[in-house]
Amino acid sequence: MKFGNKTPALIAKIMLLGALNAFTVWCVPILISNKTWLFAIYFTISTLILDYVFLSKKRIATKYIVPGTILLLMFQVYPAIFTGYVAFTNYSNGHFLDKETAISVMVSNSFAPVGNTTNYMQVAEDNLNGKTTLIIKNDDGTFGAGTRDVFRPLPDSDVTLSSDGRIMKVTGFRTLSDDEVFAILDQFNDFKVPIGNSKFFSVTDINAVELVEQNLSYDATKDQVTDILTGTIYSPNNNGSMISAAGEEIEPGWTTTVGWRNFSKVINDERYRGPMLQVLAWTFIYAGLVVLSTFFLGFLLALVLNHPRMKSKKIYRTLLIVPYAMPSVLSTLVWAGMFNQDNGIINRVLGSPIPWLSDPWLAKFAVLLVQLWAGTPYMFLICTGAIQSLPSEVIEAAQVDGASPRQLFSKIKLPLVLMTLAPLLIASYAYNFSNFGAIYLLTGGGPTIISSGGIAGHTDILISYTYKMAFAAGKGNDYGLASAVSFFNFLLVASMSIYSFKKSRTIENMT
Amino acid sequence: MIVNELVRQKPLTAAQWTKRIAWRHAVGIFAVAFALFPLVWMISASFDTIGSLSAQKLIPNNPGLENFRTLFGNPDQPYLTWLKNSIIISSANAVLQMFIGATAAYALSRFRFKGRKLTLMTILVVQMFPQLLAATSIFLMLADLGKSIPFLALGQTSALIIVFAGGALGINAWMLKGFYDTIPAEIDESAKVDGASHAQIYFRIILPLARPVLAVITLLSFIGTMNEFLITSVILGGNQKSLTLAVGMQQYIDGQYSAHWGPFAAGALIASVPVMILFLYLQKHVVAGLTAGANKG
Repeated sequence: MKFGNKTPALIAKIMLLGALNAFTVWCVPILISNKTWLFAIYFTISTLILDYVFLSKKRIATKYIVPGTILLLMFQVYPAIFTGYVAFTNYSNGHFLDKETAISVMVSNSFAPVGNTTNYMQVAEDNLNGKTTLIIKNDDGTFGAGTRDVFRPLPDSDVTLSSDGRIMKVTGFRTLSDDEVFAILDQFNDFKVPIGNSKFFSVTDINAVELVEQNLSYDATKDQVTDILTGTIYSPNNNGSMISAAGEEIEPGWTTTVGWRNFSKVINDERYRGPMLQVLAWTFIYAGLVVLSTFFLGFLLALVLNHPRMKSKKIYRTLLIVPYAMPSVLSTLVWAGMFNQDNGIINRVLGSPIPWLSDPWLAKFAVLLVQLWAGTPYMFLICTGAIQSLPSEVIEAAQVDGASPRQLFSKIKLPLVLMTLAPLLIASYAYNFSNFGAIYLLTGGGPTIISSGGIAGHTDILISYTYKMAFAAGKGNDYGLASAVSFFNFLLVASMSIYSFKKSRTIENMT
Repeated sequence: MIVNELVRQKPLTAAQWTKRIAWRHAVGIFAVAFALFPLVWMISASFDTIGSLSAQKLIPNNPGLENFRTLFGNPDQPYLTWLKNSIIISSANAVLQMFIGATAAYALSRFRFKGRKLTLMTILVVQMFPQLLAATSIFLMLADLGKSIPFLALGQTSALIIVFAGGALGINAWMLKGFYDTIPAEIDESAKVDGASHAQIYFRIILPLARPVLAVITLLSFIGTMNEFLITSVILGGNQKSLTLAVGMQQYIDGQYSAHWGPFAAGALIASVPVMILFLYLQKHVVAGLTAGANKG
């Protein structure tokens, strides 16, 4: 083989490094301006390391490992550690910002109406720049044109009124019809026309505005927010919110550390402890039952379909692994359709509307049955492999000694296969322990456990419970609490891995 | 399994066959029926023009392609866009995961450097903390990063691909290192004598030799990403146009599941058949890859 020209590789290397450095030079200032310090530092250091490693003549092994490691640290190691941190914070909806930003949002979002009259308004479009503009009738009968940035008076001669006082035409503007206004209604949610002195015109109707005033102000030295109009004073509480003496909170709050509160909630709070224990127990039982049932069915099938005199074994094998080859997300959804209470095929065959997915016990059964379907092919495959590689001397010797087929099965074949497959069975247990899709796509974790406030369900496993805590619409978005539960999950999964490493002597065999 | 020589030579009589073999076929046929039923039911539903769950029969009364037309003509649930996203994300991820794992494994197998054992241990330990469990933190992290770097924002397919690439080293490096260890070092040595650089040895000797294993790893990564639901929905969930099939198709199980059943089945059929054919075609290699862990243990 010839190994001549190395120039193209060199050019490729220089171009890749160049792109990387350009990226870092571009993004680090932005990261700094957004105060994302950690990643600014991480990107800078990573780029320096990559430059050094790839321009150095030595460090050969490092070249092959560093790129993957940098990604690994950022997207796997850091999130794991960050989970630990978030578990000690109140990260949740309404507590998403840092304190400084939260307070500036609080102040700039605070509007209270001044008086309670509205002014007539017509939406128009500026002929010069196409900007949406509000033509507003002032209290003294004059007109003004307002945008989000400025409010300027219009000469009376520019405005043509209809007989009933409606604005028909405005020089320099095109008035919009009601239908056109409805089409862009979303724009007006936060459309405020500044008129000075912290006062604004705010849209209340498609033909009306009202005068509002910014009513909150923040005093940094006292760390207090004051309502100028009512005189109410809001002070920070220990959960990242500004709260008045009467207990009234201002949205939004900010992110802050809350110590062990999330953990103690899970352990001590009635609303979480019961469901959490139930979910935890089901997670262990579920994963165990799935491994047991799929292993035994797979093993039996492997034994039955592995007779030397049997024809078409290959065809059976190919057809039996179809469930394993089918994308599991889709097959689980197909099962959900087959289990449908009113119209699903299963109930149509059985002839009665059995609530498969909405009865606690039936839902558990359904989840297990679907996993039996989905998981058996894998077990069948690995068992077939293990059975075929059983030492024939041992079996012959047992037969010579007069072992019955049943003894041969329970005393020889099963223990030997179990021994070979132990690491894979542990891995399968760990996999099912966190098999989110199997639960979430079939039952959504449901039916709901009533005492849990609607978050936990009877078929929820830890990971789907966490997901719902963090992301379920309406009820969830408590990232802090979800991370505390994830933390438990991490501990459990990690101990399983340690056990499996020990069992398979991975570390001792490391070369 | 033991082959009994005596039995093999003598053809079975009809009675013997019935006693010893027939029940095995019965079990086999029953198992195949259980295994295939959902698939058959899905195929039947996708060609049934009635398109609803309640009226479906195993053999459609009036077969047609109506469900496929509905599926492709629905702008709210853009199936073809989802399919395209799935293919892009899965392919990119399969190649990246394979490549990152394969390169690291080369160094771990071929070079003896300081910190090698430590690296191996670290990879092992990191595997104990799967990304799956850190979905919440990944979400919060991208919410923050996306403010500065647009392609790492929530809802971006590029963000998902990069996040998955981050998990690559932990997944494949160990297994591939085991495979590289079985390639004799003499091959490298003789190439070195011919004047090959370490990169040329890697790209022109080791990679081609490992091609079958790499193909299986790539395929498994591809299927794995196609199937990934949790992290994908957390990162892309808010952006209907950038969803993958796995996440998008879930929208079909809502209040009107019954009415959406036909188009859903059609979509599931299109998405699963190529994967299944590929899988069954490569089944020997796939099985070898799956059981690699057990044999080594």
